[in-house]
This record gives sequence, structure tokens and C-alpha cells, in this order.
Amino acid sequence: MSHQSETCPVPSDQKPGQVLKDQSTYDQLLKMVLHLQWLVKKHFIQLEVTRRRQQLEGEKHAESICEQGNYLNLLMSKMVNVLRSGATSGLECQEYLPCLDSRDDVRSEQRAELSRQPDPLVPQLSDFEPAFVSHDLSNRGADISVLYHSSFQDYIAYQGDKFHEENNPLGFINLGTSENKLCIDLMIKRLSENDMNHIEDFLLQYPDWRGQPFLREEVAQFLTYYCRAPAQLDPENVVVLNGCCSVFSALAMVLCDPGEGFLVPTPVYGGFAFSSRLYAHVELIPVHLESEITEANTCPFQLTVDKLEQVLLEAKSKGKKVKGLILTNPQNPLGDIYSRDSLKEYLTFAKRYNLHVIIDEIYLLSVFDESITFHSVLSIKSLPDPNRTHMIWGTSKDFGISGFRFGVLYTHNKDVASAVGSFGYLHSISGIDQHKLSKLLHSREWIDSRYLPTNRSRLRDAHRYITKKLKELKIPFLYRGAGLYIWINLKKYLDPCTFEEEVLLLRRFRDNKLILSCGKAYMCKEPGWFRLVFAENSFRLRLAMRRFCQVLQEQKQSWIEKQLEESVKE
Amino acid sequence: FPQKESGAPATCMGPASTQDLNSSYGDGMAGECSRKPDQKLPELRGMGDLTMFSSDSSYLSSRGRMIKWFWDSAEEGYRTYHMDEYDEDKNPSGIINLGTSENKLCFDLLSERLSQQDMQWVEPSLLQYPDWRGHLFLREEVAKFLSFYCKSPAPLKPENVVVLNGCASLFSALATVLCEAGEAFLIPTPYYGAITQHVYLYGHVRLAYVYLDSEVTGTDTRPFQLTVEKLEMALQEANSKGVKVKGLILINPQNPLGDIYSPGELQEYLVFAKRHELHVIVDEVYMLSVFEDSVGYRSVLSLEGLPDPQRTHVMWATSKDFGMSGLRFGTLYTENQDVATAVASLCRYHGLSGLVQHQMAQLLRDRDWINQVYLPGNHARLKAACAYVSEELRALRIPFLSRGAGFFIWADLRKYLRKATFEEEMLLWRRFLHNKVLLSFGKAFECKEPGWFRFVFSDKAQRLRLGMQRVRQVLEGDAQMAEDPPPWQTQEPSDQCR
Repeated sequence: MSHQSETCPVPSDQKPGQVLKDQSTYDQLLKMVLHLQWLVKKHFIQLEVTRRRQQLEGEKHAESICEQGNYLNLLMSKMVNVLRSGATSGLECQEYLPCLDSRDDVRSEQRAELSRQPDPLVPQLSDFEPAFVSHDLSNRGADISVLYHSSFQDYIAYQGDKFHEENNPLGFINLGTSENKLCIDLMIKRLSENDMNHIEDFLLQYPDWRGQPFLREEVAQFLTYYCRAPAQLDPENVVVLNGCCSVFSALAMVLCDPGEGFLVPTPVYGGFAFSSRLYAHVELIPVHLESEITEANTCPFQLTVDKLEQVLLEAKSKGKKVKGLILTNPQNPLGDIYSRDSLKEYLTFAKRYNLHVIIDEIYLLSVFDESITFHSVLSIKSLPDPNRTHMIWGTSKDFGISGFRFGVLYTHNKDVASAVGSFGYLHSISGIDQHKLSKLLHSREWIDSRYLPTNRSRLRDAHRYITKKLKELKIPFLYRGAGLYIWINLKKYLDPCTFEEEVLLLRRFRDNKLILSCGKAYMCKEPGWFRLVFAENSFRLRLAMRRFCQVLQEQKQSWIEKQLEESVKE
Repeated sequence: FPQKESGAPATCMGPASTQDLNSSYGDGMAGECSRKPDQKLPELRGMGDLTMFSSDSSYLSSRGRMIKWFWDSAEEGYRTYHMDEYDEDKNPSGIINLGTSENKLCFDLLSERLSQQDMQWVEPSLLQYPDWRGHLFLREEVAKFLSFYCKSPAPLKPENVVVLNGCASLFSALATVLCEAGEAFLIPTPYYGAITQHVYLYGHVRLAYVYLDSEVTGTDTRPFQLTVEKLEMALQEANSKGVKVKGLILINPQNPLGDIYSPGELQEYLVFAKRHELHVIVDEVYMLSVFEDSVGYRSVLSLEGLPDPQRTHVMWATSKDFGMSGLRFGTLYTENQDVATAVASLCRYHGLSGLVQHQMAQLLRDRDWINQVYLPGNHARLKAACAYVSEELRALRIPFLSRGAGFFIWADLRKYLRKATFEEEMLLWRRFLHNKVLLSFGKAFECKEPGWFRFVFSDKAQRLRLGMQRVRQVLEGDAQMAEDPPPWQTQEPSDQCR
């Protein structure tokens, strides 16, 4: 979600060497057109808002506004494209050059971007990305492409240039993507055992799209046990799809109509914003939490019912239709865990306003501090509103197999289960894998006595190392005992403390082949927060921290230089 | 700009080209044979007001209720079959499924191959987040595989390949990135009905039908022949109703006709599409299931000089040609990088596991096994099964189409309908189901003429014999059955379930 400004895919028909004569004119023109473009966009949004207020008006009229808007958009984008090809083309390609000194260019790019983004906190669907025009894609197709590439640019860079001890020691180390790489040895061993490799006719045939019954059975038993459910969970309430993002996407489709919204306490995992925009076109309404400790805020980023209620009422007064509340527990990126009481409070609040609660417990088994008791929503005896409570879990994080593509929905609501089941064939899992997953979940003995203890102790070790390192560097962070990541505050390295500077620092990390994720990607209200994933093997983690320190040093250095320059000027 | 799809998804296409979305629940389970005729989606203009038909759940959004409808309405055939699946030993009086297009003839070959040592490989990169286009090793293998089997004039490129979990996902993703909500694809009917749902669920994209006739007349030299004139007319009709058509879907080899397009015809359709700046999605999922050599099948990727390569998108999968519909592997080949990139942007939601990607690469790489073991075995078995069902139909004097491609025969049972209506067609289908054989009826393929049925023959000889025997019983005893009060109504499975 972080920084769309960085992406300017060069259209395929544009020859890179094709620089036109008078660049400055083009630059000026480009600026003007960008501004015009922004004005037009604003105008149409205004029109749309007015239209929605006066719902009485015929649909026809709205369609035509839309048509006009899209047409203008297209024309405008074409113009921008032509101009871009003539304007200084340095802007587009710089991001792949390891230029540590890209600050000025980036700044100007940032400024242009900012003028187009009224609210830097909420990731905008960059439906207006001027440089990306394809006659072959629909508008939403182009949007999807741009959104994806701006959101996952670091990830894409990492995929193309991964660190490897021998083959690519200068490659990227990724502490930005939340993946558990500590137990891959155990998983490989388990997945190579004989019971995993089993082929049967029916596994190769069309499945039950909600998931093979044997797998849903296994999931129900697994969750009953590990979530400490008061009663046996029902396999009929289980839907399995290829990943939690698919589950969330399908849920958003069936719970909301386009334009409706979910409340979400922030900072929060950016994938929700991405998923809700991509297919479902559901709005996330942030409940911004604050790091500062006050009377009402007994711990940093505390979620309270008051805050939820306030945002809800505000949204309602603006005419927004709020359909639900998204909670992640253990929280990502904070690593917080909700107590049973607060969980109940949130659920009761939701019931009071007839809100669905989507509760993502994908880090359920990644609580490595043994003094903490995690309370799954499924462990609550009498849920305030069981028909509106939907739980998501998957194996990606807890078993460190994100490449496996497995996500689970558990809901008491049969209508929701069957509606989500309709999406099964678009998000299905291979029968061969369904077999493997059921065997994996079934091996209680291995999980309890081998996998979980090892995983927890390795997470603890990595966490101990990283916290020690951060303390040495005097970097504030949240000390928590769950998740694969740590939420750190690099505010003091930003001058001024803005989101632009945050992105610049992120880029500086990337230039040094270290991928992190910044607070803006989590819709954090305060600039300067970063999430650092520590579930990486110790060699890489140590190397990553060396790169990390180096960047901060450089950052400090350039700050000092800037100070000097300014004092000289004065 | 406001998103277009944030309004009601409604676009009026008028009754002629309106789909009632009455087709099917996907080729899975229920097959294209399950929906009650009275369970219709409203005409498109009614789409904004869903309360009239959709399920009554107050928990779901209006589109959620519509989506649930897809699920519920499939239940009749689906549940009936699943509650009572035929099994030689355990349930010999269970239902035989000749409705779902699956190849059940080669499990022995496949399970042997998939059990070999090279398939069991696990390594870290396979267990971690992938390149969402598909692992490079697999895309390379797919490119080589398609170059060889599609006989492409030049080697195909891995960067033009996107891999996802099946063709359903691919239809959905392509519809989303090529069309705005409410826009449409042209599709000649009868066609594989599940596409309706594929392009609609996420994409809210419609199909505009190009209706074909069974009758052979002057210009139509064979039944259900597709011509450029018909394409032109359908396009005009859609345009005149204000429906924006963005592309054309061709299925080659065709499902359910089992027909194939000649290179000349293909070229004509592609030129037509180029003339109107339409995308062409060519679904070649039965490409290697052409079991009569004389047919001379040509993939669109084999054509020299495609009229509009930037708008030509080919899909293929292992579901049919390798009889592994449960494996969930499909692939897109397009020279258009914008389209490939946009589809890949959606692949987070349609990914397949690294382990399966490894297995697929191993399978596609094994040219010796494919050429010497699998394809000859598969083709011989398909041929024999097809010959058997053809013989049975001939004995019943039932006219049918079968040209040596695909898993099915398109049979004309019009003489068994008392009236030429789709209600009668449905009644006949129920009689088959009551007699424990599941078929697919023409309406599910949006066939214009009531009375056509699709018979899937790619099943074991014993089940096939029993299935055909049950078909024969229904057709021969038909007159008698019609007079008696229909006893099966009391055992209506959907009644049992609700």
C-alpha cells in the first residue's frame, strides 16, 4: 500500500531513448496537465458524491457522468503519456538504479504525487495513474495493475534478486514480507514423509468447492483443539480456499455491496486494503489508534470501544454504510493480543450496531511468549452475535508455508458459508494438496511435541536477538510476544517527520538491499513507524541488521550534512 | 474517478441476449444439468432489486444473496448425485454421472506418474511466497510444452505465460481486466455454461449470445456452424441495445459440440474480431483430447501471423487433457504484457501451491511419457468409449454430433419431447435422473433448440454400459412413464434437503 508514487510503468510503446527537443516545455506542460487531471478527477468525485446524495436521480444520468469521467480520464492519460515520453525520462527508471542520492528527484516526484492525493493516510486506489495507459485493458484492469505494482513493488524487486549465501550475496534480504522462515527444515521433513504422497482418483476429480469433506473435518477438529472451542466445531461451518486473502476477498464480496465499508483499527495489515479494493470495492474506514499513552490510552495503539463508536458514528453521519469490523488477533503489525474481556467488548459493540466481525487469527499459533494466553474468538462460550462472527485462519504463518495457499473460514452462519463457497472454484486448492494439508493438521503428536515447541523457541531466540539489537541502537519498539515481526519507531531519523520522509527512508533501506515495510502501508496515522520481520534464519537476520545499521548511519550523516549546509547558508 | 462498478451492476441486454444465468454450477459435481427452470435470475434490469428472487438472508449483501443463489440453485443435481453416487460395490444402484465433463479413463496412468519419485520434491522456495505469475521454472516448461503441442511457428516465451489455479479463475481474471462491469463478451451457443458464472461472480461481465442452429442450410454446411455473418449480427444486436461488447470467446475444440474450427474459420473469426477491436479468448482446454487423427486440429498458437496478437489470449489447463480437474492448474498465454501483468496482479487470489507447480513442471517436461504412454493410451480409450456410446445412440436411432474431439457427444433427443419446450427438456432430464443417470441438458449450454443433451463418454466401460442401459430404459419406456403420475416428485431431493 505504501508508495504508489514510485510506480510509473513505462507503456510498452514508449521508446526509452526517444527524448524530444525541448524538455523543459514538456516538463511544464506535464505539470499543468497533471494538475488539470487532478482537478477533473476532483470534480467528478464531487459529482459522484452529489449524485449519491440525491439517490432519486435516474441511473442513466449517473452512467453518463461515469462515462464522461472515464473518457476524460482516458484522454487525459493519453496526453500525459505523450508528455512523459518527451519530458525528462529520468523519473521513471531511477528506482532500479542503486542511486543513494536520489533524494531530490524523489522529492519532486513526491510533491507531484501529494498534490494528487488529498489523504495520504488512506491508500488511494490509483485509478488515475497517468503513466499507465493500455488500450487493451479496462479501466479497472489498469487500476488493478497499477495498484498491485505500487503496493508490491519491493516484493517484486525482491523476487527478482533474492539474497543467497553463495549465489547472490548482494541480493535483497526481505524483512518486509511476513514469512516464517525459521522452521522450513521441519516442514520439508514432514512434507517429505510417506503419508503425504498419496494419489487417489477422487483427489484428481472436481472437488466439493468448499473443500474436500475429509479436509474440512480435519480443520474443524484442529480448530476445536487449538482454539479451545467449548464444543466440537462443525465441518459444515468450514470453507477452505487458497489463502486467507481469498477468504477475505470472498467475505467482503458477500457481506458488502460496492461502496460499503468495514471499520478497521489501524495500524493494520495492508493486505486488507488491497483485497477490499481489488475485487470487492469495499471501503476500509480506519479507526486510527495512537502511540501516545494517555489516561484513556493505557498502552500504545490501544483499541477501545469509544474509539470504535466514535468513528462509526462519524462515518454514519457522512452517509457511509458500515457493514462490519475487521479485527486481527494476534494483531499485525503490533503483535498485540486482545484479552478475553476486550474481545468481548468489541464483539458486543459490533452486535449493538449489527456489524459483522471478521476476525483474522492467522498468527494464532505464533504466540511465542509462554506467559501470554491467547484467546481465540472460537473459545468464547456465548458469542454475542454468532451469526455475524467470522473467523479466518491459515497455515501460511503458523506453519511457515505461505507457498502452500491455504486459508480457512469458520462461520456459524450457513448463508455466509454457502455464499463464500460459491467462490470456491475461483479459489480452489489442488486435491493432492488437500490431502497433504489434512495429514499435516492431523499429526497432533508432531505438532505438539515437535513443531510448536521448536517454532516457539526459534521465534523467541530471533526476537531476543532483534530486541537486544534495537535496544543497543536506542530505537523504540513494542515489546510483544506474538507474531513474526516487531513494530519499531524510527521517527528520530526523519527530518521532518513526514510520510514522504518515511518513504525516503524505506527507499534508502531498499537501496541497501534490505526490504522493510513502513507505517503508511499499515495506514498508521503517525509517520516514522516500521515493521521488521524477524522470523528469518540468524545468519540472514544478522546481515540484515548490519545493513539496517548502515542505513541509519547514512541517514544520520546526511542529516548532519544538511544541517551544515543550512548553517553555511545562514 | 468514481468506480463504475460501485453502482448497480445492471445493464439491460434485453430478453434475447439476456442470460438467465440458468446454466450451471460449474463443471464440477453438478455439471451443467442441475438447475430448475423456474429458478431464474431475474432479467438483467432487475439485477438491482434482488429481493424478489434471492435467498432471504439478512446477513448477506445484495450481491452476496445473488452469489448464494448460484450455490443454492445448483443443489438439485449436485446434491442428488452426491447423496447417491454410484459405486460398483457399495452402491450399485447409485447415480451414474454422464453429465460432468471429466476424463475418468486414465487414472491408472496418471496416478502411476504422479507417484514417481521426482514428484515428491520439497524445497524452501516452493513453500514460500512465489512470483504470482507462477514460478519461472513452471512458466518455462509451459512455454516449451505449448510450443511443441500447439506447433507454434516460433518458440513461445515464458514471460507471456501466467499460471493460475484453473481456467475458471482465468476467465474471471480476464473478464475483470478486459471489461468494465456490465460489459460483455460474445459467445457462440451452445457453449460450456459455467463460463457465465466465471465471468460474472467477480467481474460482473455478461455474455452476449451468438445463437447457432442445428439445421444445415445454404451457407451452413454443418450443424451449429459459426459464421462471421452471425457474429456480426449478434454484435450489432448487442450494440443496438447499448451493450458494450469487449471480446469474443471461442472454445476450440468446442464444448459441447465436440467440433473443431478449421484454420481458415479461425482466421476469419480473428479477422472479424480485429475489425471491431475485440479481444479473443480462445479456450483450448481440450486441445490434446482430439482422438481422431484425421480431424486435423490446429491451435490458434500455430497460426502464422495472427491478425491481432495483442488481443488474442489463449487458455489451456490440465483438467481435461490430463484428466485432473481436481489438480487446479490453468494457464494463460498472451503476447500482451499489459494483460499478462494485470492478470498476474490478481493471482494472489488464484494461486496454486509451489508443490503442485513443481509437479506440473515435471509432468509437462516428461515428453517421452506423454508421447509414448499417456497420449496414445488416452486417445485409444477415448476412441473406444466414444465408439461405444455412438453405437448405442445409433441403435436408438438418435441423431448426434461427434467429430472425434472432447469427452462428449451432443445428442438430439427432440423426438422424445412431447412439446418443443425447455420445460419438457427438463422433464426428460428428471426422468433420466430418476432412473439414476445424470446427463446435461441443452438449456444449460444456452442451446436455442430444446431437446439436445450432452453425453459424457470418458468413463469406465462398465459404468458407461450401465449408464447407457439406464438411458435406454428411460427412452424406451418413455411413453409409459409419461402416463403414470410421476413418482419421483415425492422423492425430490431438494425437498428432502430443505
